[in-house]
Formats: sequence, C-alpha cells, structure tokens
Amino acid sequence: MTEAYHTLSDLDRVIHEPSRLLLVALLSSVESADFLFLLKESRLTKGNLTVHLSRLEEAGYILVEKTIRGKYPHTEYRLTPQGRAAFDQYRKNLGRIFEEKKGKEEGENL
Amino acid sequence: MNNQIDSAAKVGRRYWFVDGFTEILAGVLFFLLGGFLLLRGIAPEGSFLAQFASLAGDVGFVKVVGLVAAGLILWWLKDRFTYPRTGFIREKRVPRAQMLAFIRNLILCVLLSVLVLAAAFFFMPAARASIFSMPVWLPVVVGILWAALCILAGRWMGLRRFIVLGILILLAGIGISAWQLAEGLSPLPADALQSSPLAALPEALRAPLAESISRTFASIGLLTLVWGVLFALSGLVTFLRYRKENPVPYEEEA
Repeated sequence: MTEAYHTLSDLDRVIHEPSRLLLVALLSSVESADFLFLLKESRLTKGNLTVHLSRLEEAGYILVEKTIRGKYPHTEYRLTPQGRAAFDQYRKNLGRIFEEKKGKEEGENL
Repeated sequence: MNNQIDSAAKVGRRYWFVDGFTEILAGVLFFLLGGFLLLRGIAPEGSFLAQFASLAGDVGFVKVVGLVAAGLILWWLKDRFTYPRTGFIREKRVPRAQMLAFIRNLILCVLLSVLVLAAAFFFMPAARASIFSMPVWLPVVVGILWAALCILAGRWMGLRRFIVLGILILLAGIGISAWQLAEGLSPLPADALQSSPLAALPEALRAPLAESISRTFASIGLLTLVWGVLFALSGLVTFLRYRKENPVPYEEEA
C-alpha cells in the first residue's frame, strides 16, 4: 500500500460525507451563518440539513447559537477551531492523494 | 475536487454582492462624485455650476454623510429584502494585527509614491513637464489601478462579473486618455520649465497649468462617472436576477 492509500483511509469520515463537506466549506469562509443560508446554498432538504448539522455539532466541529433578531428566534452556526483544523487537515490529505496520483500517472506516461 | 471545495468556500466571500444592492449604491456614489469632478472641469470658471461642484467636492462633510447614508440604506435593504430570502451571514473578522499591517503598508506605499513624485518634480525638468500632460496619462493609470483592484477582488470572491468590470474600466481609461491625446496639449516654453520649482510660477506656465488641471478634473470625473454607471448597471442586472430566483421571502413549511 502506498502512502496515498494510507492517507485515504485516514480521511476524516465526518467531513468526508459530501453534504457535510459542503456545509463545512460554506462555514469556513464566514464567521457564522444562519439555517436559511445553509439551506439555500446546500440545496438539502430541511430534514437532511438538520441531521448533518447535528452530526457536525456532535463531532464538535460546529457551534450552534440561538439568538433573537428583531421579533424572531434566529439560529446561527459557526465552525469551531477544532472544525476549522479538521477541515484544513482534510484538504491537505486530499491534496496529497491527488498529487501522488498525478505523479504516478505522469511517471507511467513517460 | 479541491477546486469545488474552494468554490464553495468563496460563497461566503461574495455573499455581500449577491443581491446587487452594494454595486447599485456604490455606482450611484461614484456617479455623483464623477459628476461633480466633471462639472468642475468643464463648467466656465466663476460660474454657479463650477462653484457648486467645487463646494460639493471639497466639503468632506457631504462625502461622510453620503457614505453613512449609503451604509444605512444598504443595511436596511439587506435586512428587509436579502436576509429573509437567502439567509444571513456574519463576515469573518479581520484580525487586528493583520488590519494594522495592511494600514501600515498602505501608508508606506502612499508616502513612497509621493516622495518619488516630489523628488522627480524638484530634480527633473522633464518630470515637471509631465504634470502638464496629466489629462493624458492619469486616466489610463487610474484605469489600470481600478482594473487591478476589480480583477483581484473578482478572483478572490469567484465573481466573474468583477473581472469583466475591471476590463471595461481599463478600456474606458484608455479611451479617455486617447481622447485627451487627440485633443492635444498646449505647447510649453522649454526655458520656463528650467526655472527652479521653488521660484514663483513663470507667467507663461500659468495658463497651461490651469488648463491641465481643469482637463484632469474633467477626464478623471468622466472615468469615475463611467465607472459608476457600469457598477450600477451590473448591480441592477444582479438584483433583477436575484429577485427572479428568490421572488418571495422564505417561509416555513406547514
């Protein structure tokens, strides 16, 4: 087994799921976002979104803050430092896998 | 795949421009500023229009009030229109150290540019002559700076329309410079330029300098006005598309 395959098995499974990866990527560029923003951008159903957000919260990757905006309750989600670090690590690992695959393909073509 | 993740991460960065309001308001401000500068450049000296443009452009209070009013209107529009339709985000806070480093570098760049220009003006007669050809070269320089700013912002946010806007403003700068070049410049007596810059301005240079200043105001004013129109139009198209895609505020399903 090459190094890349080891890295593949080391990928964070919480983030690796496509919908959760999208949610973490969306949250990575903002301080916090509300449920509606995540719903619109991810195009998930409300039920699915709730499940994925709960999973990320359980893993300690996001923080849920309930506030009041005007007269209405408002829920905001933000990436925790742990979630940000996990996302950065995930991207590094993924990049390493693709680089090694690319290097191997170029070697075969020579 | 990393590109797709990058693209998702840019959604938050460009959310401020999702509805077109920011561009429309910035476009209106640029249009007004450009209009005042243009008026100042083309209105006959001493006329009511020239005095009005000069006063409106010089009084800092007007600009501050305009900026604050635009900020409040933007905040109100987003709160009433955008957030109920596509949600609310808080922008990432820039760390204080990073902000201070940016301000320090900006001040250093401006100081260095001013020092280089001042040194060139005092020690090189040829550079002194370039002051008189400002209406020709300044629009293209300003166009390049704005285009660079627009293109960098467009790439950072993943917004292609900003790249197009940058190219258009560069073309406008080149066009205005070409127009000013075609208009021609007043000939300068070479010996007048040899005099010390600390001495009183020779009589022969007064009229060309006054003409150069008013033409510079006019050309930069026109460029700013075009920039405002382009920005406002881009904002309007974005707003119409946003409204079509999100016609009503999001409502909870029963």
